[in-house]
Amino acid sequence: MANYENTQSNGSQSSTGEAGFGHRVDQIGSDAAHLWGNARSAVTDLGQTLDLKGRVDRNPYGMVAAALGVGYVLGGGLFTPLTARIIKLGVRLAALPFVKDELVGMAEAALQGYQAGVGQGGQGGQGGTGKIS
Amino acid sequence: MDMNPQQIQDRAREIQERIVPQIEEARRNLVDLNTRTISFIRANPGTCLIGAVAMGFLIGKLASRR
Repeated sequence: MANYENTQSNGSQSSTGEAGFGHRVDQIGSDAAHLWGNARSAVTDLGQTLDLKGRVDRNPYGMVAAALGVGYVLGGGLFTPLTARIIKLGVRLAALPFVKDELVGMAEAALQGYQAGVGQGGQGGQGGTGKIS
Repeated sequence: MDMNPQQIQDRAREIQERIVPQIEEARRNLVDLNTRTISFIRANPGTCLIGAVAMGFLIGKLASRR
C-alpha cells in the first residue's frame, strides 16, 4: 500500500516536471521568435532610415566609393603613406582648374603684350623710315 | 623619304580615317560597360556594397602593413 502511494506520488511529480519543462521550452521558443521579429524590424527600420537602396539607385558609383572608403578606414588604412599620397593627388587635381585658368590668363596677357609690342615696333619702324626718307 | 605638304595631308587624313572609327567603337564599348555596371549595382546593392567594404578593408590592411 505504501508502495502504491509512493508510485502514485512519483508519477505525479514526473508529469508535473515534464509539463514544466515543456512550458519552458515553449516559452524559450516564443521568446526566440519574439527576439527574431524584433531584430528583423530593427534591421528593416535601419534600412528605411539609411535608405541605402534609394541612395544606390540615385548615385551608384558614389555609394560604392563610400563603401570602399568605409572598408579602407576599418582596415586601418587611414593614417598611412598611401592616404597621404591619395590626399596629395586629390589636392593637385582640385587645384588643376585654378592653375589652368592662371596659365591661360598669363599666356593671353603675354600674347597681347607681344602683339602690342609688335604693333608699336612696326609703327615706330615705319615712322622712322618715313622720317629718314 | 621627303614628303610634300600634300602627301603629309593625305597621310594625316588616312590616319584620321583609320583611328576615328576605333575611338568611336571604344567610346561605345565604354558607354555600354558603364550602363551594365550601373544596372548591376542597382540590381544587387547589398552585394556591391558589402564587396566594396571588403575590398576597402583589404586595401586598408595592405596599406597599413607596409
